[in-house]
Amino acid sequence: MSTSQLLPLELVDKCVGSRIWVVMKADREFSGTLLGFDDFVNMVLEDVTEYDNLGNQTHLPKILLNGNNICMLIPGGEPGGEAGEEPGAQTASE
Amino acid sequence: MSNGTAEFQAFSPGEETSEIAKNNPSAFLSQITGAKVAVKLNSGVEYRGDLQCVDGYMNIALEQTEEYVDGILKNQYGDVFIRGNNVLYISSI
Repeated sequence: MSTSQLLPLELVDKCVGSRIWVVMKADREFSGTLLGFDDFVNMVLEDVTEYDNLGNQTHLPKILLNGNNICMLIPGGEPGGEAGEEPGAQTASE
Repeated sequence: MSNGTAEFQAFSPGEETSEIAKNNPSAFLSQITGAKVAVKLNSGVEYRGDLQCVDGYMNIALEQTEEYVDGILKNQYGDVFIRGNNVLYISSI
């Protein structure tokens, strides 16, 4: 019964070690390799690209991202669909 | 939730916890304590300095701090305390 349903945080747990696309509440996005996270969904990301509201990209080697302003997580995705796994996933930034 | 004691804890749904535990937020913080870091706030202002300590709220103490606004160095401080609610991320540099 309980094993048939996948909890949201279990989905995030499945993403540990793989690329993930993080969309923040404000007009800001991050994409990087998920190394770990905690109960607040604070996340440790590696090889990160930050996309700000003006379209600027910043590379960051390793960050601890505050979970407070995270809106959405997309496994495998990259803004602009570079990873090719999320066709039509560009809408969130518009 | 009235938990006054926010802590970084590894999520542990299954047997894979040992693998996760090495890279969870608190492990990362202990890795970078004492090193040079960049702290970005929600306002976009960035502080670069030596990380003295962090707590569960992401309150941060920095030394030898440089304040960057829009990527331009605006100020320098010896010691800085940053209240955790403003923190967007902490990055190793």
